[in-house]
Amino acid sequence: MLNTTIALIRDTFREAFARRIFWGFFGCCTALLLFLMFIMGIDVVQGAIATVTIFGRTSPTRDVQDLVRQTQSVIAMVLYFAGMALAVFASAGLVSAVFEPGRIELLLSKPVSRTHLLLGRYAGNVLVIAANILYLVIGSWIIFGIKTGVWGWGFPLSSLCTIFIFSVLLAVLVLVGVLWDSAAVAIMATFAIMIVTPILAQKATLERLLDSESSRNVVRILYYMLPKTSDISVIIRHLITNQPVDSWMPVWSTALFGGVALALGLWRFQRRSF
Amino acid sequence: MDRVSEFAIETEGLTKVFRSRWTGRELRAVDDISLRVRRGTTYGLLGPNGAGKTTFVKMLLSCTHPTAGRAMVFGRDARETEARRPIGYLPENHRFPTYMTGWDMLDFYSALSGMEETARRKRIPEMLNLVGLDERARDLRLGKYSKGMLQRVGLAQALMHSPRLLVLDEPSDGVDPVGRKQIRDVLQTLEQQGVTIFLNSHLLAEVELFCREVAIIQKGKLALSGTVEDLTSGSGYRVEGLKVPERLEIELRARARSFGSSNGSLQLLFATREEANQAVDLLRSNGCEIEALGRSRSTLEEVFIKTVEAL
Repeated sequence: MLNTTIALIRDTFREAFARRIFWGFFGCCTALLLFLMFIMGIDVVQGAIATVTIFGRTSPTRDVQDLVRQTQSVIAMVLYFAGMALAVFASAGLVSAVFEPGRIELLLSKPVSRTHLLLGRYAGNVLVIAANILYLVIGSWIIFGIKTGVWGWGFPLSSLCTIFIFSVLLAVLVLVGVLWDSAAVAIMATFAIMIVTPILAQKATLERLLDSESSRNVVRILYYMLPKTSDISVIIRHLITNQPVDSWMPVWSTALFGGVALALGLWRFQRRSF
Repeated sequence: MDRVSEFAIETEGLTKVFRSRWTGRELRAVDDISLRVRRGTTYGLLGPNGAGKTTFVKMLLSCTHPTAGRAMVFGRDARETEARRPIGYLPENHRFPTYMTGWDMLDFYSALSGMEETARRKRIPEMLNLVGLDERARDLRLGKYSKGMLQRVGLAQALMHSPRLLVLDEPSDGVDPVGRKQIRDVLQTLEQQGVTIFLNSHLLAEVELFCREVAIIQKGKLALSGTVEDLTSGSGYRVEGLKVPERLEIELRARARSFGSSNGSLQLLFATREEANQAVDLLRSNGCEIEALGRSRSTLEEVFIKTVEAL
């Protein structure tokens, strides 16, 4: 069982390496880390930043805690939205590759359950992206810590939220991939969720703008049903800036959505003939 | 452990109907096939393109779910995960991951077959050697392999975990004649070791040479099955004589069911043993030499074409 799971995960990594997905992300993350390490100079004097130098230009003095948390928030948000879009784009091919005729038959002929096969691939894909997210976040956290002495746990914890939302979006990719065998359709469906959910997050405004009660109900249902990417980004910012999190509902309801999507994907995969 | 069954493969009324999602039209790819393949035999599945051979094989491996009927492998329902443990499979039109090397590929698929890492490391060089792939091939990406090399490594993959049932879909497709001979030799060794070999091929000469039993399917139905020996044995007797005088030749031609001549030899086919014996007596009494004598045989190709055209 473990042997098989490791083989499936290792295969996903091998394919990600071969498709340059892993190295593409790794290169971007390394470039950012090098930027933080060498280009951005921070001179701290008695707990306050004396100067911040970027590309040789010196900026005014600021509070060290404030600067580090704001910068970490920016990195986390870029990673959360832009990085996530790239991760979804890259992962769609990894999921649909498994269903290719000539490849799936050989996989299914092995004494491994279909659930195990798909979950192994899913876990491998999550780990490929998680490795890069952790590399960037932990790497920049260490650089900031060494340069400024600020070591809050909010930033490393935020990476778990980012990995979590990716795993939910990957469940959507798996479901659509199993249903239609198409990486393009899977990307479109997942991007649609990424675009629609921040709009739905403005639920209160939308309810005010809509005339009919039925339309308002549709907005409410969609809001509670779909992942709450926008609300979770707020949670991430609160974690980094050390503010209390108002509600964890967006996390567990998003987890529920991801669980249902993955379960449906597995159910369909079980029943499909190849 | 296997359940007690004298058959490696057993199907009862196995049926697969594909329905179009939009039009609702039905296609009976496999229609009520009941088949038994004894342990340790070499069995060939024949049929024209689109006859349902691959769908049948896919149901044995649970890649495709049957609409009706059931398939058993060594007495176990083919839908059970454990039923696939003793099976080695080489698919037709395979698409092995091109990013893997020969070594990676064998390592990955044998891990899925449940082999431990130490056993895999020991077995991989043996299997590459067995199928005639050299040291260079083991570290070469599959994307750079030729068609013949892919078939060989595919066969090695199917043999890695020492399966007791080998299901091969067009195993010598794209392989040169020397390679075919090598593959046949490997399969013959496995047969001697008691491995059941289920061969799906359109190369009738290859099947005739290698398989003991065959089944022919046409339009999803089982058209004919039996031993190659029985299916190719003809219903008549063949007599071939040399230096036959013209007068006798005319007489024998009149008695024979069919005849032919070439290079001074007269070939005659008689319906019964008595007629053949009488012809031999006549030839000998006229001082003719007997070149050949025996039961007439059909080739598997003739049997195949006759069966397929009859449906």
